[in-house]
Amino acid sequence: MTVTDRTITAPEETLALPAAPAVVRRPLGVFTRPQGSEGWQSWLFTVDHKRIGIMYGAAALFFFLVGGAEALFIRLQLAAPNGSVIGAGTYNGVFTMHGVTMIFLVAMPMAAAFANYLLPLQIGARDVAFPRLNAFSFWCFLAGGLLLTSSMLIGGWFQNVPDGGWFNYAPNSGLLFSPHKGIDFYAVGLQITGIASLVSSINLIVTVLNMRTRGMSLFRMPVLTWMLLITQFLLLFAIPVITVALFLLMFDRLWDANFFNVAAGADPLLWQHLFWIFGHPEVYILVLPAFGIVSEIIPTFSRKPIFGYNFMVASGIAIGFMGWGVWAHHMFTSGVGPLAVAAFSVSTMFIAVPTGVKVLNWLATMYGGRLRGLFGGLHFWWPKVFGYILDERWGKAAFWVILIGFNLTFGPMHILGLQGMSRRIATYRADEGFAFWNMVATIGAFAIAAGVAMLLWNIYKSTRDWRRAGRPAVGPDPWDARGLEWMTASPTPEHNFDREIEVEGQDEFWHRKYGQDESGRVVRAAPTSEIAHDGSNTKVHLPSPSYWPIVLSGGILLVGYGLIYNLWLVAAGMVLLVGAMYGWILEPADDPEAAGHHEEHDGGHDDGGHDDEEAATLG
Amino acid sequence: MRREPRALVWLSSLLVIAGTVALIVVAIVVDDNHPLSTLSPVGRQGRDIAALINPIFIVAGVVFFLVQGAVLALWWRYRVSGSDDGDGEFGYYEDEEFPEQVHGNNRLEVAWTIVPTVLLAVISVFTLVALFALDDVEASDEELAVTVIGQQWWWEYQYHLDGDTTTPPDIVTANELVIPVGVDVPLDIKSRDVIHAFWIPKLNGKRDAVPGRSHDWVIQSEETGVFRGQCTEFCGLSHGYMKMVAVVLTADEFAEWRDNQMKPADVPEEGTAAAAGWETFNQQCANCHVVNGLTSAATRGGDPESPPDDWSIYGEFNGEDAGPVHTEDLVSGAAPNLTHFITRSTFAGSIFDLYLDAGEPVPYLELSERGTLNRGELEAWIYNAPERKPAAADELRGMPARTGLSPTDIDNVVAFLSTLD
Repeated sequence: MTVTDRTITAPEETLALPAAPAVVRRPLGVFTRPQGSEGWQSWLFTVDHKRIGIMYGAAALFFFLVGGAEALFIRLQLAAPNGSVIGAGTYNGVFTMHGVTMIFLVAMPMAAAFANYLLPLQIGARDVAFPRLNAFSFWCFLAGGLLLTSSMLIGGWFQNVPDGGWFNYAPNSGLLFSPHKGIDFYAVGLQITGIASLVSSINLIVTVLNMRTRGMSLFRMPVLTWMLLITQFLLLFAIPVITVALFLLMFDRLWDANFFNVAAGADPLLWQHLFWIFGHPEVYILVLPAFGIVSEIIPTFSRKPIFGYNFMVASGIAIGFMGWGVWAHHMFTSGVGPLAVAAFSVSTMFIAVPTGVKVLNWLATMYGGRLRGLFGGLHFWWPKVFGYILDERWGKAAFWVILIGFNLTFGPMHILGLQGMSRRIATYRADEGFAFWNMVATIGAFAIAAGVAMLLWNIYKSTRDWRRAGRPAVGPDPWDARGLEWMTASPTPEHNFDREIEVEGQDEFWHRKYGQDESGRVVRAAPTSEIAHDGSNTKVHLPSPSYWPIVLSGGILLVGYGLIYNLWLVAAGMVLLVGAMYGWILEPADDPEAAGHHEEHDGGHDDGGHDDEEAATLG
Repeated sequence: MRREPRALVWLSSLLVIAGTVALIVVAIVVDDNHPLSTLSPVGRQGRDIAALINPIFIVAGVVFFLVQGAVLALWWRYRVSGSDDGDGEFGYYEDEEFPEQVHGNNRLEVAWTIVPTVLLAVISVFTLVALFALDDVEASDEELAVTVIGQQWWWEYQYHLDGDTTTPPDIVTANELVIPVGVDVPLDIKSRDVIHAFWIPKLNGKRDAVPGRSHDWVIQSEETGVFRGQCTEFCGLSHGYMKMVAVVLTADEFAEWRDNQMKPADVPEEGTAAAAGWETFNQQCANCHVVNGLTSAATRGGDPESPPDDWSIYGEFNGEDAGPVHTEDLVSGAAPNLTHFITRSTFAGSIFDLYLDAGEPVPYLELSERGTLNRGELEAWIYNAPERKPAAADELRGMPARTGLSPTDIDNVVAFLSTLD
């Protein structure tokens, strides 16, 4: 009986670098790399993609709570006509910060969290291509996020907060119409988070193109990896566009340039074009990772491979291209002319085709499957990241509360729009008839808040229960899943995989677990415990931690505040920034005493023949 | 094999569909009084738009229910309950029966690429036809064109009775656009400061007012009445309070209104409260507000042919040069022209009703039937406008407070304003 449909012939190799020439021993002076793999220093100076991913996730969660609180204030203000919970000025600041926070400081870093943590694992890599640059991406993002958020506090509560909307149309964003420093925070803060996104996108693109394990051709990569790759390309081309726009705005506001000054002959539509050439691809930057997550979860719990893998990938690529040709649909009312409106209407409609293909492929994956519950990405990968499963009942309860709350919040907004309620109005007249659905939306927003509270409680409770139970191991593969990330211990060991994995097809891990018998029935070929790596090979060579990514980001933060408040601070920041660059360049590539460093490079034993043995036994 | 609870599938799907339909029905039933509703257009363009989106909405609704229904049905049909799951845990267990490991189906993929493409192509054709039709202006006997100028946070209308927007306007008014019924009125939409958007939902879609640009638009109503509008592009502090009204009159009423608007205001009788109010108005208000025939360059301390020299967004700003002044636009001064103030039905950017118990639609010329003057709100507005409508008056945006005025002064100003019919 042939049990496995194929066998693995090439032995797995250790993840060793070629033996390096003898490195210079201590003292390395100021360039010694950080020590210790525990405590707060191990987080501040880490270059481990998993820790960076976790920090992205934690930062996104923090900003989510900030942005969520802002949302609740918006909903309170609009709950009834002639609302007076917060004044019009504060309202404008609150909805601007809500939008900016949710897009740039929550959705983007949340996608970055998944990308950082999962992408190297899914392609069987030890880390990303440029680990220090990866750490810099996170700290730079955090610097930009904190700078933006600090605008709510500096100079008084909501006195210097960006108040031009997240889209920040010129010329309302000019000094003449918004004389306080809020929009400077916007222009500078988003340039800083932009640097982070750009650096991160280059890093992840190089990682996918160069770091895939043996046999992991592009069309064997999981759909999530594909969607993340497309997202990184979108970022690579979109971020420079918004950066240009922000740069021009900054020059207008700080140094009296005239890029958006109508009196000097500028056309304010320039800003809109630049913003939306970034802004619409941004929509896909936010949604493609979510598409990827769904594409990982549905097959796992349908007990089937993803339906139409090639079409799934191709539709993602199609969205990635078509996403650049629809931006002016955000500008239909701005007088771009009927021809432009017509062209962008049509292109916008047709981007629905690849999106629809994705949805129908998910349905086809479910069709005929054996659905064993569905989770969001957070619940799905939580055990891989932290080594225990979140409570299912609380998870389901939070899901339903958030689902209902979400629809109660955003459904009424569609009705209100048809009833003629404009966006971004601080209040409305009683006789405009908007009161009922606004109250419903406000109730919905608080339901979402309750659902989020339940989610947080679930995290706390599950952690506590797991600790009380003596921290039982969850095993490498609690869901009987398909991607390579499940082929190593949970939580993922610092070095990811004990041995290099040789990939022979899509869903490699699954096909090592399951084969087919003569009648085509799926049968277990080997238990997970024999296939998955247990993380015992601690001799894998890892990149050393570094002080410089966070120091460099600190320099950028100082430059940012300096641009807004005092150019001398820019000078100080530049000193720090350039100094950190030199430190970065001059620190030894390999510090034998640094945390995470393992001196011996020849790894653990090679058990690559393992699968052959298995096949033989079962055969 | 587990028995399939087919009835339950249908029941649950039906429940969801029925619930959603019920919600939409409630939405429409509750939609009894929405003066800004896009769902009950009375303008030719608005009806064209509705004629486009209603069928698309139905098609989209069918697709939505099919897809959502499929999600629910597939979930219900293929779900495996906990008890069926061996030990009730997720993950691997012995003797699991696997579904057929289907990897895809190219025919299906091609089908569900082509079907939506064709569907969208058909929708595109109708969309394009409707889009280009929106720009058509039907000629009529009425040679009327209106320049619409947005600024923080009110609208100015300059009527050109010869239809030529390049000549000086014949009538200048604010916030209430008065048009004759059944006539396509070409609009030339501009802005004096930031971007605004002109939107009377029952008549036509939105069009932005962009500084430095001039956007053609057209407005028409098949019915007489008063139709509300709202600035719908975020324009700063008081964006939410920047509203407007379109008043649609019969041809005769419109002619009467037009002839009245062409007249300058009457000089108040000496010794009356109105005369005292005129005095106060000249001192406190006339720097920005024009009343044809009563305020002049002299009262503003400037040249009658040019705007006040201490006000302009793109001009001198507190004595510093901030770029060229758009003098040709500034026929209003810097605030609504009040020559026929009392004939309007709203004030302060149409956020307050000028008359109480007026009902709708207001018979435009029958002042006696309009109800009581909303005196309390008007006095409060004159006394401390920024408290009623957020403004940055210290940055010359919005009406400044006049808290130095005594109650008598304010009574007098209201008396003066009441003569502006």
